[in-house]
Order: sequence, then C-alpha cells, then structure tokens
Amino acid sequence: MDFTWSREDTEFRSRVRGVLSRELPTNWPTLARHGPGSRQQTEFCLEFCPKLAEAGLLVPHWPREWGGAERPVWEHFILGEEMWAAGEPRGAQYMNVNWIGPVLMQFGSDAQKQRYIPQMAAGKAIWCQGFSEPNAGSDLASLKTRADREGDEYVINGQKIWTSYAGMADQCFLLARVSGAGEGKSAIAIFIVPMTTPGIEVRSIPSLIGHGDIHEVFFTDVHIPVSARLGEVGQGWKIISAALANERVGIPRYQLATIILDEMVGLLKTRGQFGDPVIRLRAAQAAASCEAARILVYHVVDAKSRGQILGADANVARLAVIGADHAVSDFGMDFLADCYSGAGHVSFMSHHERAIVTGIAAGAAEIQLNIVAQRYLNLPREA
Amino acid sequence: MRLAFNEDQTTFSTFLEQMLASDVCGFRPAPEWERLEYGDAIDVQLAENGFFDAAAEETLGPVMAAEMIFKIAQLPVAVECAASALLRPNFASKLPRPIAVIEAEPHHPIRFLPMARSVIWLSQSKVRTAILKDGDVQKADTLFAYPMGVLNMAALTWDDVDTDAAKALDLWRIGVAAELAGALKGGLNSVLEHVKERHQFGRPLGSFQAVQHRLAQGVIEIDSARWLILKAAQSQDPADAALALAHTQNMATRIGYDLHQFMGAMGLTLEHPLHRWTYRARLLRSALGGASSAFGHYADARWGPA
Ligand SMILES: Cc1cc2nc3c(=O)[nH]c(=O)nc-3n(C[C@H](O)[C@H](O)[C@H](O)COP(=O)(O)OP(=O)(O)OC[C@H]3O[C@@H](n4cnc5c(N)ncnc54)[C@H](O)[C@@H]3O)c2cc1C
Repeated sequence: MDFTWSREDTEFRSRVRGVLSRELPTNWPTLARHGPGSRQQTEFCLEFCPKLAEAGLLVPHWPREWGGAERPVWEHFILGEEMWAAGEPRGAQYMNVNWIGPVLMQFGSDAQKQRYIPQMAAGKAIWCQGFSEPNAGSDLASLKTRADREGDEYVINGQKIWTSYAGMADQCFLLARVSGAGEGKSAIAIFIVPMTTPGIEVRSIPSLIGHGDIHEVFFTDVHIPVSARLGEVGQGWKIISAALANERVGIPRYQLATIILDEMVGLLKTRGQFGDPVIRLRAAQAAASCEAARILVYHVVDAKSRGQILGADANVARLAVIGADHAVSDFGMDFLADCYSGAGHVSFMSHHERAIVTGIAAGAAEIQLNIVAQRYLNLPREA
Repeated sequence: MRLAFNEDQTTFSTFLEQMLASDVCGFRPAPEWERLEYGDAIDVQLAENGFFDAAAEETLGPVMAAEMIFKIAQLPVAVECAASALLRPNFASKLPRPIAVIEAEPHHPIRFLPMARSVIWLSQSKVRTAILKDGDVQKADTLFAYPMGVLNMAALTWDDVDTDAAKALDLWRIGVAAELAGALKGGLNSVLEHVKERHQFGRPLGSFQAVQHRLAQGVIEIDSARWLILKAAQSQDPADAALALAHTQNMATRIGYDLHQFMGAMGLTLEHPLHRWTYRARLLRSALGGASSAFGHYADARWGPA
C-alpha cells in the first residue's frame, strides 16, 4: 500500500498546471464566475479545448484510434482534478471526454463514430445530456418523452428539463421512450439529436448557479433519421448505466474546495481572525471533509487503475464529496459573509455557486444513500 | 498511489482474519455480568505468532499495524494492541506486553492497566517507560468496556526513552484512531446483522429508509476514517495523524447514538455485545483531548499559528 504519488504522476500534474497557467487568461476568474454552461464559458472552452488537444491533454486516456494516447487511469483522473480546481475551463466538453466519447466508441455505429468522435477529440463539440424531465428526476426510468417510428425516421415529442449547456449545444444525447416497445426501462432508447433540428425549442432557466446554465428543452414533432439512434431500442438503459459508470466518482470537487478553503484561511489570517478557536475548529472540520472525500475517491480510482470493478464504493465516495463541497462553502458563508456581496471575492462566489448543486445535480444525495444502504451494506429494499 | 495491500500484507491480513474468526474472539457474557472480557487467548496467539511486530517489518510496516489495530478493535473481546503494534516496535521493542499508555493525567484510571506488564508515559517533552510489578496497579470499576486500573505512581521506576516525543504522540494518535474506528465498525457490523433479521411492522428494520440513511452515513465516515488512518500510518506526518484522530473522534458520538437506537432495548442489555464496542468508543472519543483538540492540532500543523 502506498499513499504517495509516483514521479510520473507528479510530473504529469505539474505539466497540466503549466499548461493551465499559460493558457488561462488573466480575466479567467471573472469569466469563470459566469458558470460552466454560460455563453462566456462555452465560447472560451471552444478556444481552450483545441489547445488542450494540441498539448495532448484533452483525451490522453482515449484509444489511439480516436486521437488518444492510452494513458493510465490515474493521469486521466489527475487531469480532471486540475481542471476542476481551475474552474473547469473545458466547460461542457468534460462530458465528451469522460463519458460521451467513450460511449460512442463502445456502442455507436461506424457512421456515428466517424461523425462525432473526431470533433470531440479536437475540442470542438458541445453536447448536452437530455435525461431529466419535469416528472422524471430521481425516478429517471419514468421518463415520458416519446419517439414514434415513422418509416426511416423517429418523431420525438416531449420535454426535458435542467439540461445543462443546451443553449449552446450542437448535439443532445437524448433519452426517449420508443412507442410500442413495451413498458419500463426496456422501451428506453438513446438518440443523438442535432440541436438545430426543427421543432426543438430551448428556454434558459434563471438559476442560483449563473445564467445560461440550465434549460428546458421542448421537442415538438422533431424528425430524426433512424440512424440517429444509439444502440438498440432495448439497450438504452444499459448503455447509460455503463456510461455513467465511467463517471462514477463524479467530479473531484474536493480539489477546488481545498484550494478555496486555504484561500479563506489566508484571508481570515490577514484579518486577524484565525486565532479564534471556533474558526480554527470549523476550518479543520471542513478540511477533514475534503480529505475524507479525497481518500475515498482515490480508493475507487485506484481500484479502476488495477482493473478492478467496485460496487457501490463509488457512491460512498460521492456522498463524501458532497459533504466536502458544502462544508467549505458553509465555512465561507459563516465566517466571511461579506465576501459574497458587492465586489466581494470572486473565487468564493464561484465556488459557492458550484457547491450548492452538489447533492442534487447528477443524482440526489438521498438516492446515493439508498444505493449505499442497499448495495454496500446489503440492507433489504423498502417493502 | 497504490491503495491495495502488497503480497505480504495480504497474507498477513488473511492469516489475521482467520485467527480473529476463532471462537475465543467471540462474544460470551462475562462472569458476574462484567461489562467486558479481556481476550487473553487471542492475545497470546497473536503475540506468539509475532503479529505485534508487523510495524518493524519492511514489507508489512506501520500501515499493517494500523490495519491490525482496526481489525482487533472490531472484536467483542478487548485486546491491547495499539501500543504494542505501533509504539513498541518504534522505540521500546523489549518492553513486555500488554502495555498501558499514560496519555494525560497519570493518576486517572487507564485502560488495560489490570493486565499490563509495562507502561508507556507519553508527554509533549518526553517518553518514559516502566515495568509493572505485582501491586503496582489497582483495578478500577468502570462504565467503559475496557479493563481499567489506577497506577501506584510512588512504586514505579521510570526509564527515559531516547525518542522523539512529538512523533510518539503522533503515532499514538494514529493508534487511538484505529482502535476507535475499529470499535465503531464492530458495533456497526453487529447492528447491520440485527436490522436485517429483526422485523417490525411486517418488514425488516433495515428496510426503513430512516435506518438505512443513517447507517449509510455511518459507514461512509468509518471507511474514510480507516483510509485516513492507514495513510497517516504510512506518512507519520503530524497533520495526517491529527486529521485521522480528529475525523474519527468527530463521528464517534453520532454513530454511537445511532447504533444504540437501531438495536432498541436489546442493545441496552449485557446479553448483547453492542455495549462492548460503544463503551470502548465512548472512552476513546475523549482520548488525547477529544475531537476539538485533535482538530486544533490539525489546524496548527496545516495552517500554522494565527
Ligand atoms: C445544476 C444542475 C444541472 C443539471 N444538469 C442536468 C443535465 O444536464 N441533464 C439532465 O438530464 N439532468 C440534469 N440535472 C437534473 C438532475 O439530474 C436532477 O435534478 C436530479 O436527478 C434530481 O431530480 P429532481 O431535481 O427532479 O428531484 P426529485 O426527483 O424531485 O427529488 C427531490 C428530492 O427528493 C428526495 N428524493 C427523491 N427520491 C427519493 C428517494 N427515492 N428516497 C429518498 N429521497 C428521495 C431527494 O432529496 C431529492 O433531492 C441537473 C440538475 C442540476 C441541479
């Protein structure tokens, strides 16, 4: 057992940091304040990701065939940590890199692969994920958006909601229920829908996390060719489960949270307040939450790097990550409340706006607790 | 970064688990309904097989010692392990065991003293040891599920140990954390078994979400504590040691409460072992000043003075 970084990993991390400090503009913190789905950040990521691609840092873990370098799991993970710590300058494209690209490689038709993957590897594609609906959130399998087969086409009707990046996306990775294909999960299929297709309407939802981040997407008689379906009809649920398994530990949020916490402590010291034992205690508790999350996430990544598939360990880690992000954000608001108004402190505000979604976006904390109880502790399901 | 045991560590761990699965480690009510049982038999077996020396062996190391403390603390019987496995190999390899540790006030009751053959006295500035003779210890009644005793200080002869006192305290933080995390894990395992079996309202207790979520939260804390403890054992960094202890002590109160809640009245009897774990945890969560003190040490180590 070894808790230290190898020389290669340390060097890789400093290389990523080097590229970030070179390529991120001086106004980046202000830009990043707009939130990952904003027009500002999306336009920025379309300049930034091609540079990452050129440096071999966009999809280093992908197979060579698709522009990758088959780099080890840990490198991919370190890359994710550093990007998140920097405010995720890849914007929506982190999804392409982490799971949409790999899903296409595994389940896409040759035509789909040729059409979409090179764009992603070049850092030029924006996708959104059309899963949640007004009446299908945690209970995603109850989704109602319909796909009716008409000859060589499907006609899509329905509504998605909370769709990040939809305002700027080229494609939607859409889940819909195929009419006549039965009930439940087995009727769900995946469709790749160009967002310019007639009949799609996108409305931005004003939110606490910045403008242009989440959306409603309405589909009214949207015609798409049958070739836009990804995989078979009965396969949709299996594919997204596999897809999201690539992402199981989720975003390494403790990495930014740790940096922000250190900044908060620095500021409290400057203000002469860090001698207060209560403040020191609360800072240490927040730091402990971050370190607990980090080590649980590392456990999952390490197992993956050794080719081991773990069960609900990833959900355990995710829950700890939720706690960490909130602990730091709450610490800031409790002891540095003035930093969240007026000119304030841009990085604290940005962090807060990212942290408040933790535990809701990408699956509610309570759903994670259900999974841990039932699949990690093997407690009986609710009657 | 490799968060899996090496070959020797795996062998060690498997062999240890086999030994701990033996009947002598199981629960049986103590004579006179005492609140504890010392695991004499398993103590001897572990010692004879050299388990307490793992920390000194290159391919096993302090990580394995910490893992062993964590595992042994999950037994319903109490076995002195933290001092023997983490402190002794480091600076007192000749000291006879079991070993009791003075970590604060030497006149207070101290765990494991009734069967201890030696004492280590830790303080900020120095480390001392003493060999115990008949009559040096007076057994103390206790609510905690540890054998407790009081030292006859006047009768003891202390030897100064040539070692870094601060480092010894850090090691002890890790040892206490491992023992506490193990006690909580032992209690959790026993409660999990119970809530899967016991039915009320026509369904297992463990199928109620109010029960599920609290147990899930508990295991997240215990698992993360274990990893932080193993990491601290490897690095022996003061911040890591303080963090491991702080994190573990911080969760102990809430988890202890939940465990007793889900066991109902059965958990308040001496016929069920739950109290063995929760009353060891109750003592350990206050050790070395408790969670707030450990968080304070962590803040000092990480951020320096105000
Ligand atoms: C910032 C942000 C971005 C998002 N981006 C996308 C996106 O790009 N694409 C997309 O498809 N979706 C997206 N989502 C939606 C997200 O996946 C859902 O919000 C999430 O799955 C929860 O669904 P819901 O909001 O409908 O809450 P509900 O399902 O209505 O649940 C509300 C609350 O009820 C509780 N609850 C629900 N079920 C249970 C249960 N079984 N047991 C115990 N408690 C329960 C939980 O506390 C939960 O938080 C995004 C959400 C946010 C906040």
